[in-house]
Amino acid sequence: MTNPNLFHIHHEETDTGTTLYLIGQLDLSMAVHFRSVVEPLAMNADKTLTLNLRDLRYIDSTGLGILVAILKVREEVGQTLIVEDVTPKVQRLLDLTGISKFLRPVPDQTAEQKGGAV
Amino acid sequence: MIQTTKRIRITIPADAEFIDVVRLSLYGLATRMGFSFEEIEDMKVAVSEACNNVILHAYTQPDEGEIELTFTPHVDRLVISVRDQGTSFNFEQTVKGVEPLHDKEIHELKAGGLGIYMMQALMDEVVVHSGAGTEVILTKLLSHQGGKTHASEANHLSGDIHG
Repeated sequence: MTNPNLFHIHHEETDTGTTLYLIGQLDLSMAVHFRSVVEPLAMNADKTLTLNLRDLRYIDSTGLGILVAILKVREEVGQTLIVEDVTPKVQRLLDLTGISKFLRPVPDQTAEQKGGAV
Repeated sequence: MIQTTKRIRITIPADAEFIDVVRLSLYGLATRMGFSFEEIEDMKVAVSEACNNVILHAYTQPDEGEIELTFTPHVDRLVISVRDQGTSFNFEQTVKGVEPLHDKEIHELKAGGLGIYMMQALMDEVVVHSGAGTEVILTKLLSHQGGKTHASEANHLSGDIHG
């Protein structure tokens, strides 16, 4: 039986974007692994980068710190970081730390208002 | 008010892969005490951050030390002590520079200090004793016992540095 708390990343790639599904508990023990996967993708300005947090059961300050680092990389390459399906408990930490305001809402929820721009 | 003196003690290696054992133990105890789901999540994050500080700052060699946790349940609160025997972490100095990211621009963002900020914001009281090692004492009030319902109302951090 798979341990639902064990952190792993499911990777989906299309011609225009990459989506990483973060699954389990992202804490200090998994921070290096997460960073090694997400940082090269963040540097690619040609594709959108989306983090799906539906099955992210826990995140600590090291995980949030990597989100901050990725936000800065995305800005440097002229891109944004899209975060979708955030659970209330993770959203609470994003709000508490002030990271929420830098995260781009998921496009399909805002397509009408934003004209579908990515 | 009757105060229990029963304590639960756990010692783990100062290794990140064991922090989830602490979270699971905390969940079990806090559930028995009647804490809400949200309060338990707050404590899980705060205690994990205290353990992170030990792992990242207290010991100079990997696999060198241990983290001693003591959970003391009271009628109206849970007190959690997180101790190490490593190099004292200059908590007071670090706390001075701790702030959330709400008023920043992206290029100004810094991840450092987020863990300490989260401890302060999620617990009702955070007290630090530094000396031979560091002890962080985290307190969460049981909201339905008539205590404060919002952690931010009672946020308090004090350092007691003994050299």
